Amino acid sequence: MLRNTITRSNIWVSLLAIIVSLPMLVVASSWLIPISDLWLHFAQSLLPELITSTLILLAGVAIGVSILGSVLAYLVVMVEFPGRRWLEWALFLPFAVPAYVMAFVYLGVFDYSGYAQVIIRDITGLPGFDIRSGHWAIILTFVLVFYPYVYMMARASFKCQKIQMIEAGKMLGANPLRVFLRISMPLARPAIAAGVLVTLMETLADFGVVSLFNYSTFTTAIYSAWGDFRSIEVAAQLASLLVLVAFFLIYFERKARGKAKYYSTEVTDIKPYRATGLIGWLIFLFVFGVFMLAFAMPILQIIIWSSSVFKEEWSLKYLDYFSSTFILTLSAAILTVIVAALLALPRDRVKNSKVVQALIRLSTLGYALPGSVMAVGLLYLVQNISTVSIYFGGSSINHILFGSIALLLFAYISRFIAIAYNSANASSDQIKPVYGHSAKLLGASRFRLVMEVYLPMMAPGILAGGLLVAVDVMKELPATYLLRPFGWDTLAVRVYELSAEGLFERASVPALIMVIFGASLLFIFHRLDSNKI
Amino acid sequence: MFIFLKKLLLSLALFFTLLTSSITQIQASTGDTVTVYSSRKEHLIKPLFKQFTKDTGIKVKYLTGKGGDLIERLKLEGDKTPADMFMTVDAGDLWYAGTQNIFQSVSSDIINSNIPSHLRDPDGLWTGLSVRARTIVYSTDRVSPDELSTYADLANAKWSGKLCLRTSKKIYTKSLVASIIHNQGNENAKQIINGWVSNLAAVPNAKDSHIMNAIIAGQCDVGIVNTYYFGRLIEKSPDAPLKLYWANQDSTGVHVNVSGAGVTKYAPKLKGSTKLLEWLSSAKAQAIYASLNKEYPANQNIASDEIVSSWGSFKQDKMNLSIAGKLQSEAVTLMQRQGYK
Repeated sequence: MLRNTITRSNIWVSLLAIIVSLPMLVVASSWLIPISDLWLHFAQSLLPELITSTLILLAGVAIGVSILGSVLAYLVVMVEFPGRRWLEWALFLPFAVPAYVMAFVYLGVFDYSGYAQVIIRDITGLPGFDIRSGHWAIILTFVLVFYPYVYMMARASFKCQKIQMIEAGKMLGANPLRVFLRISMPLARPAIAAGVLVTLMETLADFGVVSLFNYSTFTTAIYSAWGDFRSIEVAAQLASLLVLVAFFLIYFERKARGKAKYYSTEVTDIKPYRATGLIGWLIFLFVFGVFMLAFAMPILQIIIWSSSVFKEEWSLKYLDYFSSTFILTLSAAILTVIVAALLALPRDRVKNSKVVQALIRLSTLGYALPGSVMAVGLLYLVQNISTVSIYFGGSSINHILFGSIALLLFAYISRFIAIAYNSANASSDQIKPVYGHSAKLLGASRFRLVMEVYLPMMAPGILAGGLLVAVDVMKELPATYLLRPFGWDTLAVRVYELSAEGLFERASVPALIMVIFGASLLFIFHRLDSNKI
Repeated sequence: MFIFLKKLLLSLALFFTLLTSSITQIQASTGDTVTVYSSRKEHLIKPLFKQFTKDTGIKVKYLTGKGGDLIERLKLEGDKTPADMFMTVDAGDLWYAGTQNIFQSVSSDIINSNIPSHLRDPDGLWTGLSVRARTIVYSTDRVSPDELSTYADLANAKWSGKLCLRTSKKIYTKSLVASIIHNQGNENAKQIINGWVSNLAAVPNAKDSHIMNAIIAGQCDVGIVNTYYFGRLIEKSPDAPLKLYWANQDSTGVHVNVSGAGVTKYAPKLKGSTKLLEWLSSAKAQAIYASLNKEYPANQNIASDEIVSSWGSFKQDKMNLSIAGKLQSEAVTLMQRQGYK
């Protein structure tokens, strides 16, 4: 009897995970089609270079974000320094800026013809340089855009570290650097690894930044197969290799995490170190410098650009752009969070099947797929359903589902479930099995257990995940562009349409509105987060 | 917990209202409304459609997207597609859409007399509506026009470290190289691309506007751009030390491309969309095309915008544009082999 109910809940969860994975499975099914000659051409002229450059990019970004993210988090959590209070939350803000917007600002300012380089050349007489050649500039851009993922997770982990351990280190005479390297960092390793994982998946799927830099990554080949050679099949085959890479990344992350669980559930807000005087101000300068470079400077630039063309660009149309963005963001976030919570609910650990776990993991791999590949996978999924329906004497449903809100929301769920799931799962991991056992002993139904014990305990993780998904949906372009219904242009679509025509000044008007909207979402996140403490 | 349940129900309710509203929206698209899928951006088509509605009373509903995406969507929607017209910005895309059985042939005396035949599909599947010339732009500080002649000449070692080009991923580059393959053969085209790549002063740019900024800043001296980007820049900063040079005037002429449109095969509003296409080729619409984006009108009876006519007239490459489409994948293969990023 008991066994039955558990198996049934396993079946439901598996089914849900499979549904969420469907677009990705359709993409992977492209391997059933025979390999085309295009592969030979790619293998000869594209793949060697782009596999190397993708690996360099991933390695550079991984090292960059893990150092920057965890150092910032450590400083903000463990050290009291001037300006710490507002910087702690300000460091989240780069989340609100889409990566492609950041890239066009950085290029506009720092490339050969950008004014920063022009001024430096005028003053020093040094020769100019092409920041798009080589690897460091694009790596730096990705690091500045994506460090908040690591910062956020490392910060949460540092906050949960037992203060006694650090005090013990101090008493044993270890200097702050040694405490950081030997105690805090190893304890935070799982959290940092999780942040790096999200960053790398975003980097793998990125198309906007790499195309502005004209840097070759794996997505270059995917878009070449589709755009240049009109072969959706090869594009899908290449894209499913990305999923494979993501699979290995997750595997390594799991390994890095091991069975270790260092969290204590109590959160303290005591700062073990105080930095005053010169050192305090140096720390301030460093943290503030990151904030300037990753947020304040780009935003200032966007404000300057948009103010010069505001009259030309602004119209009542913006109410539509904003309301579309708002509604999509909100409904996608809510739905994604519901699915994620269902997947992440604690299950009886004894009966917890490996298959179910694997299916859930599978459903989170979609994050590494470029948005447009995911979207086309979804179109083909609908097409397959139509084919079946026609076979059984029904009719095609393509024209009903294409360009419907339902399909677009499904795409968002499929793509962003990873973020919501990871966040919800982190809180459900902390729920000790004893809660479930005592509830059962007391005769509570599973429904009551979930509603009255599990969900309230998972609430912080669920909320945090929901807000992150909301910010991501707001910034999402390729799937929105391909699947949105008539009249549902979002702010991101407007930014793209203007910047694709080289009208960066005008594009900065919708970009600015997005940043303000994203920052307000992050502010809510911040308030919820600080209420918790 | 009630709050959570309430939120859950509320969001589900919201979800289903949205779902049904988007379905009814599709069903409501009856009446005098023509539906257009367009990869030409919203701010460049909206003024045209507004004027069309004013003139004819027929409303236009549109959805913008990337050319390839929209073609895929049209293919999958098949005979149930809501779209009456597909509009895009490159002859290669138009040609490809033609091969995918998306268009139907329209034979209209109005269009035939308004638009010259090399800008139209031989079978009447699509029509070019605006012409964009892709030619050489140079720094007036460092280059004299006597040094310039053809696209091929930019492969000459004298331009080593002085050339800026747009990425080979951009459709305009692909069509230009396709025209070079057509005019000069694959082997010559290969030499030219090889020379271009070794002359590059910087990684190929993502945008034409970046190329011109790089020339102004001194990173390179010459580049190849679509003229309307140059027009927009000159309108804003008339003193920019840049000028256009008409390439290949003693041989094949300047490479031109079109933005254009065709009526879809399963257009629910065949009459209305044919009317829209005819109207778009008319003098009135062509004048709007010319003023909106500094392109050349496809209708040869219409004068260009003032800035555009100040660049003088030039000899066009009269290669039929469907050839650019056919040769596009050959062009990409060639560029990728030569390491043109």
